[in-house]
Amino acid sequence: MNECTMGAIALETAPVAEPSARTLESIAFQAAAIMLAFAVPTLAALLLDDRQIHGVSVWDKPLKFEVSLALHLLTLGLLSRTQSALVAGSRRMRAAYLVSAFAAFGETAYIVLQAARARDSHFNSTTAVEAFMYAMMGLGATALVVCAFIIGLGISRGAKAGIGAGIRDGAAWGLMLGAAGTLITAGVMSMGLLDGPGHWVGGVHSDAHGLPLVGWSTTGGDLRVGHFFATHMMQVLPLVGWWADRWMPQRARQLVRAAAAMMAAIVVLTFIQAVRGQPLFPV
Amino acid sequence: MNWETLFGLAGNLALAGWLALICLPRRPWLIRLLRFGVVGVLSALYSSLVFVYFFRVSGGFGSLAAVKTLFASDPVLLAGWVHYLAFDLFVGVWLAARLDAQRLSRWLQAPILAATFVFGPLGLLLGFAPGALATSQAP
Repeated sequence: MNECTMGAIALETAPVAEPSARTLESIAFQAAAIMLAFAVPTLAALLLDDRQIHGVSVWDKPLKFEVSLALHLLTLGLLSRTQSALVAGSRRMRAAYLVSAFAAFGETAYIVLQAARARDSHFNSTTAVEAFMYAMMGLGATALVVCAFIIGLGISRGAKAGIGAGIRDGAAWGLMLGAAGTLITAGVMSMGLLDGPGHWVGGVHSDAHGLPLVGWSTTGGDLRVGHFFATHMMQVLPLVGWWADRWMPQRARQLVRAAAAMMAAIVVLTFIQAVRGQPLFPV
Repeated sequence: MNWETLFGLAGNLALAGWLALICLPRRPWLIRLLRFGVVGVLSALYSSLVFVYFFRVSGGFGSLAAVKTLFASDPVLLAGWVHYLAFDLFVGVWLAARLDAQRLSRWLQAPILAATFVFGPLGLLLGFAPGALATSQAP
């Protein structure tokens, strides 16, 4: 064990230029690795398990959350490199990263537990414990979104000197707009006011015969579509900014703004579509 | 899924790991392969079985009778067995590194590790002994 611990210590004390950003990055990357470790037995279970919820394997949802949250944490980790040492070293930023990692862990653990029990995690208030845990999941999801906003705000106020305007704006706006969009789209979905609990509006209340990979409804509105595009602004806008810095640095800021406007339009349109009970792609 | 087949595969994998640990030179890559590779595969197998089967059966950890009920299910019993295989090998790798650091002869390590393979905690207890009389702090 000692040999192993010493190895780990030696790795962490290797000289790095930005100790604070490095810490944030390792918090996020380590948590992302934990999400992916969950995904290994989840994938095996997906192939092995014959139990279903809403017409799809009980392991469909855990796998989506594990992959999405790993992607989210990897994004936060990479974007820590855009922060000035002052921002990256602040207690607020450290707290935002730790809370994100902890909330992601909690969400995944409960979603996996409920899948193993072949019970719903979201929209499940059948027992007192499940109702409490559903509320806790809401709290965790909100924490993830608020932390992403705080991190975006930190980047917009204190980006590292010398980085491109595209990646700076892309990271800041991606995280802030993505957080705001997620809060609205997922918030409406969680209230279940439109068509009862769940992500469906009209159509068949089942996840069978959904679109490939994402599983969105093909018979009615699906509130997860807007949530998807809103949340993944956090990846799209930094990528657009990074690409723009590389290939057309003079127009980087405009490109990020154009991409932000386009993504926002997609979120609004897909959200309205779902509220009106229409599928993204009717089949 | 044929549980006997899976049982055989997991057992052979663990056996190969133990033979390598006891007989082969302790190259760093071999230790890493055992600690993360073999133990990792066994842990992933255990986790998959628990994900899929644990909550289908009644029973629990509260009493001996509850544990007996739990292990009435073949896949859960197999998961329990794989749990032994994974944790015993992990302990074996840890013990081997510790005994190497204490410069205990590989000829004396072999029976201790073999005991850990077959009777887990018994081997661990024997493995603690060489360090107990050492003057310097054991790792």
